[in-house]
Amino acid sequence: MTTDREFPGTPLSDSDISEGKVLIVEHDPNARYAWDAGIAIGRFLAELKKGRIVGRECHRCRRIMVPPRMFCEQCFRPTDRWVVLKDSGRVNTYSISYIRWDASRVKEPTIPAVIEIDGASKGMGIMHFLGEVKPEDVQVGMRVKAVWKPPRQREGSILDIRYFRPY
Amino acid sequence: MGSPEQISQIEDIRYVYGAIPVNFAYTMGVAGERFFRELMENGRFMGTRCQQCQYTYLPPRLYCERCFASLDDQWVEVSSRGTVEAFTVAHLDLEGQPVAEPQLLALIRLEGADGLLVHRLGETRAEDVDIGLPVTAVFRPRRQRKGSILDIRYFRPVAS
Repeated sequence: MTTDREFPGTPLSDSDISEGKVLIVEHDPNARYAWDAGIAIGRFLAELKKGRIVGRECHRCRRIMVPPRMFCEQCFRPTDRWVVLKDSGRVNTYSISYIRWDASRVKEPTIPAVIEIDGASKGMGIMHFLGEVKPEDVQVGMRVKAVWKPPRQREGSILDIRYFRPY
Repeated sequence: MGSPEQISQIEDIRYVYGAIPVNFAYTMGVAGERFFRELMENGRFMGTRCQQCQYTYLPPRLYCERCFASLDDQWVEVSSRGTVEAFTVAHLDLEGQPVAEPQLLALIRLEGADGLLVHRLGETRAEDVDIGLPVTAVFRPRRQRKGSILDIRYFRPVAS
């Protein structure tokens, strides 16, 4: 242990611990989890496996929401009905990304975008990738369509759609 | 307001598995370091005493919790004998799984100390344990001690 008392307290260095100069108790909690998608997203994912995008309608405000939710946050009441939407839409906003989720760098950029789905209310959309398009050709408002994995490769995940391509 | 839909088939539940890697190394603190070194090296219990408050801390504290006096140089040896203040019989382990042999866990007040230690009871059965039962610490052999509370195997009853 260091005896330097410039500050109150007893500072420890990494070597105090790695060289066993101080007693320690090591503890590795088994922090595994299973994260439940919930009723609305659960159904949304199950429908993706069948190759469909579904939303949820609120009869009061008449909004058709995607991703679906079982409760309308504007009307403060349960939503009413499942609606099958198209697998096409428009680019609401997009980004050209040169990093992965963990901030490591990539040469070929990905183009994450919010896609307003046809059949849902204005402004309602899901996040996905754009593909078969050059970054410089992407525009807000551009029409796009889902490119699905073959049915047997789908597993009830958002990645059952590979990407959206211009059409 | 109830949910308009329910999942009745368990296989309909969609979930994502994950694991968060977490590793902790807890240090004992200044007082804890001395307490566990004394346990390991000398097989004895050391507490700290506040003369002002007439209170002996075990586990030791570096400061009196009552008057905030520094107890840095107020170390006292405490007996390894004491009495059971409270006890419980554990039939489940930390994961909630049944244990083969029920465990006796007790709060023990050592002679000369005011604080309490949590530890196991051994060489006895639940039906023979009572509050006030005199007990003594059973230490592991010196070479097996690591500076942990488990350097004490358990407390066993002694004749009062």
